[in-house]
Amino acid sequence: MYRVRTILHLAYRNAFLRKSRAILLVMMIGLCMGVMVGLEGLYDGMSLHMIDKTMRSDCGNISLFAKKYRLEDDIKYHISEADKKVQQLKQLHDVVYALWRIQSSGLAQTARKSTPAKLIGINIDDEEHFGKFSEFLKEGELNFGKSGVFVGNELAKKLKLHIGSKVIFTTQDAHLEIQSIALRVKAILHTTNINLDTRALFIPRETLTTLLALPKNSATQIAVISKSKEIKTLQKSIQSLFPTLDVKRFVELYPQLKQMQELMSVFNQITFFIVMSVVFIGILGVMYVSILDRIREFGILLSIGYAYRNIRLQVLIEALLLGVAGYLLGTIIGLAFLGYLSYYGLNLSMFAEGLNSFGLDSTLYATMKLSYFISTFFAIIFASLLSVVLPLRQLKKLNPIEIIRSTS
Amino acid sequence: MITLRNVNKYFYRGEAREVHALRNINLTIKEGEFSVVSGPSGCGKTTLLNAIGVLDSISEGEIWLEDREIAQLSAAEKTQIRLNDMGFVFQAYNLVPVLNVEENIGFIMRLQGYTQEAIKERVLDVAQMLQIDNKLDAMPNLLSGGQQQRVAVARAVASKPKIILADEPTANLDSTNSMALMEMMKELNTKENVTILFSSHDDYVIQNARRVILLNDGELVS
Repeated sequence: MYRVRTILHLAYRNAFLRKSRAILLVMMIGLCMGVMVGLEGLYDGMSLHMIDKTMRSDCGNISLFAKKYRLEDDIKYHISEADKKVQQLKQLHDVVYALWRIQSSGLAQTARKSTPAKLIGINIDDEEHFGKFSEFLKEGELNFGKSGVFVGNELAKKLKLHIGSKVIFTTQDAHLEIQSIALRVKAILHTTNINLDTRALFIPRETLTTLLALPKNSATQIAVISKSKEIKTLQKSIQSLFPTLDVKRFVELYPQLKQMQELMSVFNQITFFIVMSVVFIGILGVMYVSILDRIREFGILLSIGYAYRNIRLQVLIEALLLGVAGYLLGTIIGLAFLGYLSYYGLNLSMFAEGLNSFGLDSTLYATMKLSYFISTFFAIIFASLLSVVLPLRQLKKLNPIEIIRSTS
Repeated sequence: MITLRNVNKYFYRGEAREVHALRNINLTIKEGEFSVVSGPSGCGKTTLLNAIGVLDSISEGEIWLEDREIAQLSAAEKTQIRLNDMGFVFQAYNLVPVLNVEENIGFIMRLQGYTQEAIKERVLDVAQMLQIDNKLDAMPNLLSGGQQQRVAVARAVASKPKIILADEPTANLDSTNSMALMEMMKELNTKENVTILFSSHDDYVIQNARRVILLNDGELVS
């Protein structure tokens, strides 16, 4: 106990009495960690944000379709009595909310331009409960009124639509008759879901059902938001409830977003590896120089009966103390950085067009996870311990008498 | 107390530049002795002290500390011997630079596991005896050479070792400080009955020693 106390005392003194060395190292670890945690949060935030908005604006955690609908994109493969099915789904324990939509592909045209698009029938209240629909509003107001339509922002740009502009949507109804509807733009939406922003027009569900000559309460999609972490289990129970429908999870509907999340995770690992290598080299450099600088001191200690194992423990504790101090500073910087980025975001409006084309907002928000700090803690401890292996090997070869001879 | 039997020490043995530093040394140092190893430069004084202090290995022979042969012990065992049975005073003081005077003096006692109170009491006693009690909070780099050497002596004495080995302790001191240090060492020897073995070619030190061990070219002359 006394031995450990003495070693701790010496380690503490050596770690922090050489102030410039300690400050330099602690700041290096702290800044590296702070920036790394910030980047991790930003990368994760980007993908989580995209996933979240896609779920909220489109498919939720799970979506149900009539069999063949997704392959054929034909409204004859629709879900009937969607309202009852939604009610059944809402009864399930893990389901937070469910809604149905009707959708038809067709042609959107103005007097000068036309483009393929899809008309989606929605209920604004349902959408608000489902995915805070009002957050997607970019211009105008969320009120269909008479013949109102909401348009995705990229589609509006393509057709040069503004609030109050007129747009005609032409499609084929359930009897294969061509039907057109004249609509007036009431709102422009920005969901960051490329599928919707570039192609979608939203009108009331009932209006579209009538236009398509479908029975009341028909749907092409039922979407479910769930709080469960076991989405696969929920998918199975929904599938057993509706065996004639296609029940798909988010990752099955948007595999590219899942891939993007995994890609971000790889970026994070690479960043983590690079930053931790820098930290490791930093600690190694400082500890190595510091130990070589103190060879005489270690020689003295050995000669007066301080065992090599004590020196080894002392050097390890010194590296750990500096590492932990750097970690604490890094935690403060990281928390501040992440706090700022998750509240205010990183405004990249100058790259808005490019970011939007990838389905990203021009303001990127970070996410904060405890795992960043836990993994960094262990990495710094590991780097600190590893950094003294080489200097300790040098110390082990130390012959106190040679040191004393050389300094006498 | 310490007995050397047929001790030989070679440097670079078997090489063209071989040096026979200690030649067949047979020596006994009794408890409470105040001795000095003397001789011309390069005669082997420091080598002999280092061998006795198990800081350096010997090539042949035996070194006994009381009833234990210590020359053939492992490095860890030698460290324990140095910690518990020996006190060292070096020519270059060799204080721990990050510890203050009080901590330097009490350092070995701390490693030996003495309580804080016991260390404090003993450190104060020794510091008063060596007249450095007013410097207990000072860091070594703020002390003069004489003061640093007194701290080194205090560190060696504080843990009450069986023997204190002092290698040219006055080499870096002026005559006033050398005399003062010698007086203090004599006082320690008398009051605390500490066995002290110096190496020195300083006439003042030699005159004040109770026994002079004379070396010449690695051989014991007297």
